Amino acid sequence: MLNVIDYVPGNTLLHRLNPVTKLALAAAIIAATFLAADYPALVGLLAFTLALGVYAGVIRQLVGLLKVLVPVALIMLLLQVAFVRGGTPVAGFVTDEGLVTGGRACLRLLGVALPLVLMLTVTKLTDLANACVEKLHIPYKYAFTFTTALRFVPVFSQEMNAIMEAQTARGVEFDTKNPFKKLRLMLPVCIPLLVTSVAKTDSTALAAEQRGFYLRTRASSYKRYPFVARDIAVFAVCVALIVLGVLL
Amino acid sequence: MQSPSVSSTTSQTPQAAQAPAAEPQRASSPAPASVRPVIQLDHVSFSYGHDAGRAVDDVSLSIKPGEFVGLIGPSGAGKSTLAAIMSGAIPHHYTGQLYGATLVEGQDTCDVTLTDISRIVGSVLQDIDAQMVASVVEDELLFGLENFGVPHRHIEKFITAALDAVGIADLRDREIATLSGGQKQKVAIAAILALAPRVLVLDEPTAALDPVSSEMVFDVLRSLNRDEGITVVVIEQKVALLSQYCDRILVMNEGRLELQGTPAEVFAHSADLRRIGVDSPRTARISNSLAAAGLVPAGCPCLTVDEAYDLIAGALGARGSAAAAASPADSALAGEKDGSYGARPDPKSPAPSGAQPAVAFEHVGFAYPAGGAAVTDLNLAVYPGEVFALIGQNGAGKTTATKLLNGLLQPTEGRVTVAGHDTRSTPVSVIARYAATLFQNPDRQLCKNTVLDEVAFGLELQGVDAVAARERARAVIRRFGLPEEASPFSLSRGQRQMVALASVVVLEPQVIVLDEPTSGLDYRECMTVMQTVADMARAGSAVVMVCHDMEVVSDFADRAAVMAEGRIVGMGPLAEVFRNEAVMAQAYVAPPQVTALSERLARGVSPAFAGIGEVAELVDAVRRLAAERGAGADVSGGAKTAFASELLAQTGVSSAQPVAGAADAAPAHIAPSAHKEERHA
Repeated sequence: MLNVIDYVPGNTLLHRLNPVTKLALAAAIIAATFLAADYPALVGLLAFTLALGVYAGVIRQLVGLLKVLVPVALIMLLLQVAFVRGGTPVAGFVTDEGLVTGGRACLRLLGVALPLVLMLTVTKLTDLANACVEKLHIPYKYAFTFTTALRFVPVFSQEMNAIMEAQTARGVEFDTKNPFKKLRLMLPVCIPLLVTSVAKTDSTALAAEQRGFYLRTRASSYKRYPFVARDIAVFAVCVALIVLGVLL
Repeated sequence: MQSPSVSSTTSQTPQAAQAPAAEPQRASSPAPASVRPVIQLDHVSFSYGHDAGRAVDDVSLSIKPGEFVGLIGPSGAGKSTLAAIMSGAIPHHYTGQLYGATLVEGQDTCDVTLTDISRIVGSVLQDIDAQMVASVVEDELLFGLENFGVPHRHIEKFITAALDAVGIADLRDREIATLSGGQKQKVAIAAILALAPRVLVLDEPTAALDPVSSEMVFDVLRSLNRDEGITVVVIEQKVALLSQYCDRILVMNEGRLELQGTPAEVFAHSADLRRIGVDSPRTARISNSLAAAGLVPAGCPCLTVDEAYDLIAGALGARGSAAAAASPADSALAGEKDGSYGARPDPKSPAPSGAQPAVAFEHVGFAYPAGGAAVTDLNLAVYPGEVFALIGQNGAGKTTATKLLNGLLQPTEGRVTVAGHDTRSTPVSVIARYAATLFQNPDRQLCKNTVLDEVAFGLELQGVDAVAARERARAVIRRFGLPEEASPFSLSRGQRQMVALASVVVLEPQVIVLDEPTSGLDYRECMTVMQTVADMARAGSAVVMVCHDMEVVSDFADRAAVMAEGRIVGMGPLAEVFRNEAVMAQAYVAPPQVTALSERLARGVSPAFAGIGEVAELVDAVRRLAAERGAGADVSGGAKTAFASELLAQTGVSSAQPVAGAADAAPAHIAPSAHKEERHA
């Protein structure tokens, strides 16, 4: 399975930005998405994100994510349409206001998820953690927790796959077509996964401590993450995006 | 109680006392007594809780700078606990009761922080994925250097040096997730190495690796030990590696240090080791048996094929008369072959005419959509009652083949049939009724609260009603001696594997698939597992196994297919496959020691050795030839008894009831003058 948050190597402007700048850019897009109410603005922000993805060569990851998110967004649309009762009816229980709010919620969901993933695919996790510690003065403990959690996602999903395979080979009907039955079958599988993860995190804690985790300070990082001209420029873009969001 | 650390080796027999003298060129002779040990344990005991038994029990030992120490013992013997004590993880990370004193560079580990201890003792954990803290190799190395405040101008130097020392400079910018198991292990070692520790403690670094990668890891450790003077302490189950690389071997059992000494000293005690549940190199077994039979001097077991060759060639006085004893010995051998060992089912003809294969691959091809280990044009048939081994390097496509077999993958080309069912048209859960799989990691298979539920689960999935399923499960659990009501997750690694095996056995499947069934198991557990599998084959199951341990393969398999780069490059009866040097080299597989030895003996000494794959057969052949040539003049009745008990011990251990073989303890009666023959350098 293609992992959507894996780092994609590259040398584009987006790759070379300071990790904190990238974080700010993603945050600005998200903030603008929440502030903007207009459809053109929301679609425009989404298009902007996708365009950045194409530029950075990570569009494959973003499309992969969209495949997962679009069905979720559609379910949200359906719920909104069902629950929003204001406005004039269009067909059956569907009202125009329901459609409008629902559509906006859909776009916002996509608009929030995509910039974050875009940012993660063009940044090495270690760089992100180190830059946040250096520039944002986040305690390293939290930065490490965050990056380790992200790093464990693929590890655990591999583990989960292996467990499911082992159970399938025993005759558990994971190959059933019925999603509810599959869900019910998956619950017992969580036990071995939990056991493995607890053991793994304990080992990681030990390994980190044995390599001087507690000695680490803000100045420890070998790589430095200074802000340069391009970062300043992108910060300006960020401000512009937010202003645009407020205005539209 | 007596001090457990005192080796019983040195003072037993006059022959044993000479052993060190026969070992003049081993790498670093022990440092003079005046050198301060880098790690010293003084009557150390540890238990994980108030009620728990002692995981480590009154251990005293000292490790001198520059030593290469191997630590072996059955699972649950306390090896990992001992490693944790040396690395300071006990008492700083794991809690429990610790007695005695542990000194690292003269400082008690209780008085200094774990961080300070780890400046001296670098440790590499068993779970490599958990050890990693970064996603790119370079960052992984940086982490420790940054934390310990290495001046930034020196960092580049340290990184380059560590990568070069381990030989992975080309991997510097790679994502760790994309590396192979062997490469990850090297990254883990490099990351510790960059911190310039004085001691490296490694917990089973080769458990998940194929033989070639395992040797590469040990080569790295040896060069660090020799060139950088780093002391190495390594826990390892592969005795052949330990005997080749270590200066000193510590044998643990039930928390205690049972034996210690040079490899030659330790493996001279193969009977004691067998009682404890530790394997010996096959060459050591051969030379010990020969010594017990009075054919060679006792007390210095052979650790490599070269040594064993020289020993046997010397004992037989093989100069010129090579072909003399060929034919009579051959026929006698054939006559006695079947009765001489009981560890494996009788070899079968590969394809009984007319029999229906239980598993058939016809021109099978498969490629993962994302790339990676693909297989091409696999053709094989496995018949009921035979044990079929798939051998080859990591990434050769062996696991892919097993997944094609149990239906987890479906062939993109060709056809796979299991018990007459095409895997493409049959759901995996249906195939599971005919083919049961035992995975490398039992934890992925277990999911129930009690052992009984776990074992009965597979039967229930097949539609057997709950009462009958429990009845059958109970019978199997009793046979395996497992605790019925215990939670599988509270058991030891070996016992969990036994639970997983029990839940395969209870199904009485037509086909059994084993993916690395013995990795992570100690010798005794390994033998119990494999003996059970062999019994099931004898009862009519077809067994397909993927296994890196060539000794296990040679003991239990009837036929083998050698895989390389997704293709089968050689297939046939086991002995033939192992003898085909071209195929073995192509797949980067080293033949088992006994086969390698008998091939060399067949070429250099007598054709009577050709095709021998068992310790007992080889010893038998030597005895016969010696008698004919009159070389081993004093083969007395007593020696024969001892020889017979070695045979007995070999079969005994595989049925999980080790017989304390008298072979090694038998009084040796060789005049010291016989020593001159034993070997040259």
